[in-house]
Amino acid sequence: MDVGELQQTLDKLHQEAKGELAAAKTLDELRSVRSKYLSKTGSVGSLMGTIKDYPPQQRGEVGKTLNSANKAIQDLVTEHTDRIGSAEVAADAAASTAFDPTLPGERTRLGSVHPVTAVQWEVEAVFERLGFTIEAGPEMESDYYNFEALNIPQMHPARDLQDTFWLKNGMLLRTQTSPVQIRAMEKFGAPLRCIVPGRCFRYETIDASHENTFHQVEGLMIDRNVSIANLIAVMKLLLNEVLQREFEIRLRPGYFPFVEPGFELDIACLICNGKGCATCKRTGWLELLPCGMVHPNVLKAGGVDPNEYGGFAFGLGLTRLAMMKFGIRDIRVVNSGDLRNLVHPARWAGPVIVDKG
Amino acid sequence: MLISVNWLRDYVDIPDSLDVRALAERLTITTAEVEGVEQIQTGASGLIAARVVSVGPVEGRANLKKVELDLGGKSANVVSAAPVLRVDELVVFAPPGASTLETGKIKSTTIADLPSEGMILPGSAIGIPAADQDAIFCPPSMKPGEAIDAAMLEDWVIEIDNKSITHRPDLWGHYGIAREVAAILGKPLKPYPVADLDDLSDKKLPEIPITIDDATRCPRYSGLKMTGVRAQAAPLWMQTRLGHVGLRPIDCLVDLTNYIMADLGQPMHAFDGSRIEGIEVGLANDGETFTTLDGVERKLSGEALMIQSNRKSVALAGIMGGLESEVAEDTQTILLESANFEASGIRKTCAAIGLRTDASARFEKSLDPNNTVLSIQRFVKLASAEFPDLRLASRLSDAYPNKLAEITVEVDPKLVARTMGHPVDEKQMIDILTAIGFGVESKDGKLSVAVPSYRATKDISIQADILEEIARNVGYDNIEPRLPEVQVRHFAANPQHITERNALRAFCLGLGYNEVHLYIWYDEEWLKRLGFKPEAGPMLVNPAAAGQEQLRSSLMPGLLQAADRNRFHADAFKLCEVGTVFKEGPDSKNQSRHLGLISARRGKGADDELFATLKGDLETWAWQMLGCELQYEHAKDTATPWTHEHKTANIVANGTSIGTVSVCPLAMRRNIDEHLSAWSIAWAEINLDQLHDFRVESKPLRRVPEFPEVELDFSLLIDATSPYAAVNDNLARFDDPLLRRITYVGAYEGKSVPAGKRSLTYRVLFGSPERTLAEDDVNALKTSFEKHIGGCGYELRR
Ligand SMILES: [Zn+2]
Repeated sequence: MDVGELQQTLDKLHQEAKGELAAAKTLDELRSVRSKYLSKTGSVGSLMGTIKDYPPQQRGEVGKTLNSANKAIQDLVTEHTDRIGSAEVAADAAASTAFDPTLPGERTRLGSVHPVTAVQWEVEAVFERLGFTIEAGPEMESDYYNFEALNIPQMHPARDLQDTFWLKNGMLLRTQTSPVQIRAMEKFGAPLRCIVPGRCFRYETIDASHENTFHQVEGLMIDRNVSIANLIAVMKLLLNEVLQREFEIRLRPGYFPFVEPGFELDIACLICNGKGCATCKRTGWLELLPCGMVHPNVLKAGGVDPNEYGGFAFGLGLTRLAMMKFGIRDIRVVNSGDLRNLVHPARWAGPVIVDKG
Repeated sequence: MLISVNWLRDYVDIPDSLDVRALAERLTITTAEVEGVEQIQTGASGLIAARVVSVGPVEGRANLKKVELDLGGKSANVVSAAPVLRVDELVVFAPPGASTLETGKIKSTTIADLPSEGMILPGSAIGIPAADQDAIFCPPSMKPGEAIDAAMLEDWVIEIDNKSITHRPDLWGHYGIAREVAAILGKPLKPYPVADLDDLSDKKLPEIPITIDDATRCPRYSGLKMTGVRAQAAPLWMQTRLGHVGLRPIDCLVDLTNYIMADLGQPMHAFDGSRIEGIEVGLANDGETFTTLDGVERKLSGEALMIQSNRKSVALAGIMGGLESEVAEDTQTILLESANFEASGIRKTCAAIGLRTDASARFEKSLDPNNTVLSIQRFVKLASAEFPDLRLASRLSDAYPNKLAEITVEVDPKLVARTMGHPVDEKQMIDILTAIGFGVESKDGKLSVAVPSYRATKDISIQADILEEIARNVGYDNIEPRLPEVQVRHFAANPQHITERNALRAFCLGLGYNEVHLYIWYDEEWLKRLGFKPEAGPMLVNPAAAGQEQLRSSLMPGLLQAADRNRFHADAFKLCEVGTVFKEGPDSKNQSRHLGLISARRGKGADDELFATLKGDLETWAWQMLGCELQYEHAKDTATPWTHEHKTANIVANGTSIGTVSVCPLAMRRNIDEHLSAWSIAWAEINLDQLHDFRVESKPLRRVPEFPEVELDFSLLIDATSPYAAVNDNLARFDDPLLRRITYVGAYEGKSVPAGKRSLTYRVLFGSPERTLAEDDVNALKTSFEKHIGGCGYELRR
């Protein structure tokens, strides 16, 4: 084909392309039209390969002709890209009645940790921030760790206060997390800061407020010059952080053989704010945790020199705390495995619109 | 224990203006927990003593009596419901015009057609609830018509939590509480009113021979014989006080010993003095039977400590007297025992015979041996006022072979202040200690603190004990909280804690499992339904319920029970528990921490899908928390009923078998409940203790290759019986310098796959660090890999 024919062909192709580009409604359609004409195998693009077939003196002109045809179509593509692009941008930005951005998201079914675990993690977080390590200990425990080493020898009346599940093999189910005080001292020596969350067991009849299986978190701090003032400060901090409220607390004498002095720590009643109600037996206070300064005999049992070191210990009832935080009224729920009681319905049912309890 | 405020006022001046509730609050934060405060209000006025002249029946009304009373100069006829009335005795009487809150104003009235001019008051109306409907008798020292002082009937009662004073023998009586109250109020404690010891020790009087066989079990035994006592009512003030602290007045002698027990905390026992000469304290004959004064015949072991006379048992030491030697109506001579017994011996005997009394409860606290003599002195002081003919028939006889050691504690005041974290000076410490009966000497900056005997039996022996006395009296609420100043110390993380927390995070926060906490013992009934007989494990001596003896060796029975409970309320759920399982053997090592998972869905035939998704969950956890890929081995051991014979795999991580994953066979689901046959349940149980060394290591991330790589998918047709792991092993043998990675894509069994075959698809990645692969390279690799597949005996699925 001579140069004239080439020009005619190109003009025809230009007209066709112009029509097809104008008809394109989407960028995809535009892309395929562009490809049809301008790609290596396209109707204009393939003509590029024919330049070498022309005599050398014509090749310059042919090249120019082809390039300008190519550019003209490319310009049209650009023009229509802008046209369709801005239409799409406008459509994208336009309000649609079919779309409500305030609808809740679509969820996968949520899991949950046990309320006791949730509270345990909060307590752990507080103490980790204070540089306490988190320890663990066995549930099937020996008399030595559960009683003897904690300054509760055989025939000690304090054994009566903790009705014990005894095993036929001579072991017992730990009645408290305190045996881990000894185990932690044996492991780390002094100074020591640790907490021990874990399950404990007491042989008692189950009712709405008593369980034979419950969680405690033990706390132990041993160092030089640890004081009662320190204990109060740490307990106050713990409760304020976990309950997310400023609380009045008070210490009063309490007897536990493994501490001397021993305290009961009360918090101002959550229900009546200390004014007195049925929950707090009109006293305005709720008994929350036993604590005290570690008894020298316990330090000795843990291999720590009581002349050099002292410390404080506490045993927080995690189950009690979880009940307070989650508003669980019947303790039997805790070990029931019944998800209706352990999981907030919203976790399963989807967003709650009305909740009357 | 109940404490009467009137009673306390005998020993310390409690200002009338002081609110008893405020006092109780101070006691709680300083001394012992007050459980409640109650005001006793009888509203009594116009009460008098009246002598019973005659008692007759009321026709047709068995519960009523027709009573004639002498009101001193005039008489009255009343109809009374009092169960017991005896002629000539004085009773508390409300004539017309008198009143109490319980009865209202008394009027002359007609009962059972008989005129009734007043009311013989029941104990309940005058603040003696334990006496209930019984009439209250007045002592013979009163006269008919004599007015009864109503003031003593009004009182406040403070209830102390017994648990809060188990370590304080001194607080088991009003005098000990009064000592604390005096210290709290900064008032002096009045001396304990007793008869003069010299008067009781007259050498001219005979001595009671006392022999103590075992001075450990009985450190001290004191006795006194008295004559001139008789059966009569105790003074009304005493009866009222006993009533206020929950005791029932009985008879002057009994009331006296009860009063002193509530006063000083020292139990005493009165024997009929005519039947007892000497006293021996010794062990019972093994198998001996002894009838206590409650009329119960008790079989004793040779460890029971007895009070004997002529080697015949007359009392169960420290617990209860014998029926035979009991004081009777006609007793005129008594032998009063006041002794000290070792606490643990009393506890043991009480436990062995299943009897606890007010006396034994006190002896179990390790009482002050000095109170034996003191209580006898007190008894004589009180009894002399009631029995005008009272004479000593012996001198105060006292065997004290095992003297209480005197305790002196060295106290460093600076250390005390430092341990309190509160500035307390030496003088304040001395004042506090002196107020509660401690002797303090200050020397060279140290305090030498002498512990009074009532605190020295076991309560106080070390500096920390003295610190408590000081600190509680300073008041814990006066100590300014201060966070500790410490040296930083690094503690190696506890792997158990980390592993468990990570497992819960992954499964419960990430993968949709709901955590439950279940009991650590099996329930026999439930095991029966599962069809499971566990191997021997630790057994409880005292299970929570029959059939709950054995500790669990697996989490699955409990989780399956929870699943069975939840299936009523959900169509699909995933449960998770982290808990302890046990092996038999007296060692705390015989337990491990397990993770149990259940994925359950209503609908038959979802086993395989649940099995696969559960494994997917496990793999996600393993990647995120253990930093490794899991492998599965077809399990051979399918011993438990919840393990499927075929659809079971051992879970292997880094070459260690860490647990099992399976689906619940239909047989077991049927055993539990027919409805469960319409469910699919997959489960896994992992031993977390084996995961402590797993670390998520930061593997170096891959650089984007400089030259593009080529991915090719190959689907293999394999025998449905050949395990995935074996196929992998074979594929892994393919070796080529351009091979980068082979990954598993998925399995397919279906229409286009011949029966007995399974299609496994793998994605193979080829690439070179030096150049872009040419088409020829790719074709060659493809051929080479296909050849390898063929060489392994697998067909390619086109
Ligand atoms: Zn309240």
